[in-house]
Amino acid sequence: EAAPLARSGGAGGLAQWVLVELQGEVEPRQSGGLAGSLLGDLHYTREGIPVLVVGHHILYGKVVPLEKPFAVLVKQGAGEPGPAGPHAHYTVTALIKTKLLFKTRPKPIITNVPKKV
Amino acid sequence: GAMRSRAEVDATLQTAKLNAAELLPAVHCLSFGPQAGAGECCLLQLEPGLCAELEAGRSLVIRGEKDEQAVLCSKDKTYDMKIADTSNMLLFIPGCKTPEQLNADQASCNIIHSQIAGFSNNYWELRRCRPKLKKLRKLLMEDPYEGPDSRKDQSLTFPKYTTEDLLSLIQASEEEILHQLQVIDACKIEGYWRILEFDYEMKLLNHVTQLIDSESWSLSKVPLRTCLEELGSLEPTEMIEHILLSYGRKYIDDDKICRAIAQMLLQNAVKFNLSEFQEVWQQSVPEGMTTRLDQLQGLALVDKSSRPQTIFLLKVEDLPEDNQERFNSLFSIREKWTEVDITPYIQDLCAEKQTVGALLTKYARSSMQNGVKVYNSRRPIS
Repeated sequence: EAAPLARSGGAGGLAQWVLVELQGEVEPRQSGGLAGSLLGDLHYTREGIPVLVVGHHILYGKVVPLEKPFAVLVKQGAGEPGPAGPHAHYTVTALIKTKLLFKTRPKPIITNVPKKV
Repeated sequence: GAMRSRAEVDATLQTAKLNAAELLPAVHCLSFGPQAGAGECCLLQLEPGLCAELEAGRSLVIRGEKDEQAVLCSKDKTYDMKIADTSNMLLFIPGCKTPEQLNADQASCNIIHSQIAGFSNNYWELRRCRPKLKKLRKLLMEDPYEGPDSRKDQSLTFPKYTTEDLLSLIQASEEEILHQLQVIDACKIEGYWRILEFDYEMKLLNHVTQLIDSESWSLSKVPLRTCLEELGSLEPTEMIEHILLSYGRKYIDDDKICRAIAQMLLQNAVKFNLSEFQEVWQQSVPEGMTTRLDQLQGLALVDKSSRPQTIFLLKVEDLPEDNQERFNSLFSIREKWTEVDITPYIQDLCAEKQTVGALLTKYARSSMQNGVKVYNSRRPIS
């Protein structure tokens, strides 16, 4: 059986996405699951350093051009029963050539510090 | 929930004691998209060249039956696929800009609401591999072509394979498959790829060699077109053309003819007395051709330890495709091999830029025997 990786994007070519790499796991704060919930605010310093504010943490990272880019594959017939793994049918939806790598330990945001008078 | 406003973003900056003046004006508010947790997206790490292929609009294909390990094929290369785990979390975000892109576009919006399309802690890794072509020969050998006069029972239907069929069954790229079809001298008959049954092939070859003998042509100057005209009445012209192309493109390939005749002689017995074989072999080839044992690399093996010395048929294409299985098979045929003897039987296992020496280091153990370096198995062979 052969499954060609179909392409989306039509005549304009493939979309370019970005990868964000974080330490640890992503867990929903609300019980409702992840969909729709906020992760945080992504800023860049004027020197181009990415800064991610997630909950009560500040993460500093760096922009890393990927030596080996990724293709993002989306399973066709999402939600339907069918073969999993490489034997399913996939569409190449986007390419990723850059990642934002956050490896530093998060700096907690300390609130309720009495303001200096 | 409602989307974050600039005021909320600024309040967070203030709480975090970050100085807005040190930051670019644009901020990405990241949230999880509706399908983010569904696991429908995955990442495929691209080997050099594949990214450019995708951007050029060429496609990649995943090939493999349920019982085979999947491979990924571009137009001309084949890759093994393996899952690689990472201890980190990878989030994939459409429409997320890099600082370079933000700086280049001064008019960029102040707040960019980006939805995370998916996340994962693993990705598919690719490793270039040898195309898995043994199956190709196996499929075509199910029903070798015996010629138009074949007395084979025509009511028995054997599967026949078009190029499209082969593309969906063989774990290799299109170019690798087409190249291999040429290597094994397959030909297209009525749209299907066929291998000639050996006796029929010898019959066709015999027409050619007899013609060469009777016309006393010099072997370096055989006029192929004349061959075609002369022999067209004996066999279908496409078949004559095919045999001429198999055994000589611009000139007659002596080595290949001698080799085919050796195979014909050797396949009728378990082994032969070497000197008797060499005599009969030389007498069987067309006049003017010289037989040499090095023409038989990968086809036959000489046993120098027996008295008298013997020779027997051993075809590399009959041996296993997997590296470890190939070595196991060779060591069960003969306990110790010299590098010269074993090379024709392992040459095809070499990956790009890999040497026979590297394979021997990995799969065999060496020792000295009578002043000669020999290789044997690393593990006991049952």
